[in-house]
Amino acid sequence: MDNEKLGTAIVITSGKGGVGKTTTSANIGTGLAMMGKSVVVLDADIGLRNLDVVMGLENRIVYDLVDVVEKNCRLKQGLIRDKRFEKLYLLPAAQTKDKSAVKPEQMLELVGELKKEFDYIIIDSPAGIEQGFQYSIAGADQALIVTTPEISAVRDADRVIGLLEAKGVYNPKLIINRIRPEMVKKGDMMNMEDISDILAIDLLGVVPDDEEIVISTNKGEPAVIEGKSLAGKAYMNITKRIMGEEIELLNLDSNNESTFNKIIKLLFGK
Amino acid sequence: MKNNILNFKGTKDGVYLNIKGSDFQFINKELDKRINQYLQFYQGAKFLGVKAQDLTEEQILEINLMLKYKHGFDISLEELHQEFKNVFSKYKVDPIEKEEDSSQGEEGLTKFIHGTLRSGQMIKYDGNIVVVGDVNPGAFLKAKGNIIVLGTLRGVAHAGLNGNTKSIVAAYNLLPTQLRIGDIIVRAPDEDVARYKVPEVAKIHNGEVIIEPYLPNK
Repeated sequence: MDNEKLGTAIVITSGKGGVGKTTTSANIGTGLAMMGKSVVVLDADIGLRNLDVVMGLENRIVYDLVDVVEKNCRLKQGLIRDKRFEKLYLLPAAQTKDKSAVKPEQMLELVGELKKEFDYIIIDSPAGIEQGFQYSIAGADQALIVTTPEISAVRDADRVIGLLEAKGVYNPKLIINRIRPEMVKKGDMMNMEDISDILAIDLLGVVPDDEEIVISTNKGEPAVIEGKSLAGKAYMNITKRIMGEEIELLNLDSNNESTFNKIIKLLFGK
Repeated sequence: MKNNILNFKGTKDGVYLNIKGSDFQFINKELDKRINQYLQFYQGAKFLGVKAQDLTEEQILEINLMLKYKHGFDISLEELHQEFKNVFSKYKVDPIEKEEDSSQGEEGLTKFIHGTLRSGQMIKYDGNIVVVGDVNPGAFLKAKGNIIVLGTLRGVAHAGLNGNTKSIVAAYNLLPTQLRIGDIIVRAPDEDVARYKVPEVAKIHNGEVIIEPYLPNK
């Protein structure tokens, strides 16, 4: 492999749990691989790993992150190749250990190694701001903040942005997940502007609340792969924006229209 | 002279048998004759062992065996076991160690787990593991011997940790994330496969892990 290459390490974090960090990591990682990039998705959530399940690679795990940083195995042995994309790898977290098993310095060294071999390193951070968060951001060049349109998630995101700045990770980008356009319209849900106002960071993308995510998660197949669902499309757009393309935000109402169109087609055979 | 060959000696801890001379046949006969005297005299006292300067270890062991099984002396099995070891170590044939090496028959002790093993829990044991319950995804079983799950095995099971390829993994409902026997690692195919709800046994056959239904009348 080209040793001159130096990839980008992106940490996906949120502060609050359950906002979609792992789903986002899996989709962005897969999306980048679909665009021909070499990618490692790194599950930093030791003790509560999920990324392997979401990517459908759980049954391939032999070594994990802790084995790699403790040098029980070589880095190459710890990396699991995705079953669909050749350039996509997963470094799973350990399940029988806890967050104290990895130190920020070890992570820094590991991410440094990975950057020599891959275009992108996507680090799926655990919830919280303790040691797990600290080592997750240790090697990161960029950060993506995932939040949902709830005041609690936004608060936590704000706190995390501050912590990232203190650690020297500047200009994080925002992903608003699980937005429900019809609720926003009625004024029952925070809209994108409200959130952007508070957090005052660049918006990288908006992902609608989508049943397809539940299905794809349970199947272990990230939604970007099929790419038909609105969430899948949104993640693909986010991927392209990470790669530097300029793409307009998805029209989230299009889902309703297309369903409507489908009914019309069904009714009138058009 | 005769009477000096066998000497029961009482101490405050119990009774010794002191044997002089090296004529094993003769000692044997004397023992048969005099044992009843002893039993009457020292009834209830603790027997501490045999002391014999002129006899070989084998002969002492034989006397001990006779005392225990012919005359009903209270000699613990551990003591005899230790003596066996002493005797056999001279010939570099240790019957007990030998069996463990051959990786069959002796598989060590068995650990029983009652209840469900959940994600992140790991059981590692030098012998066999029996789980009376389920093993959920993310849980880990590691055994030097066999693994039996009397429920659903969904986690990872590693039998024959030290490379014992004769180990098996059996479960009432065998759906492991991953199976390891010896140094072979396998997983279920990505496509859904037809399953029959019968207990199954995984073992190594010709260098591959095979899974067969467990049929009691087979």
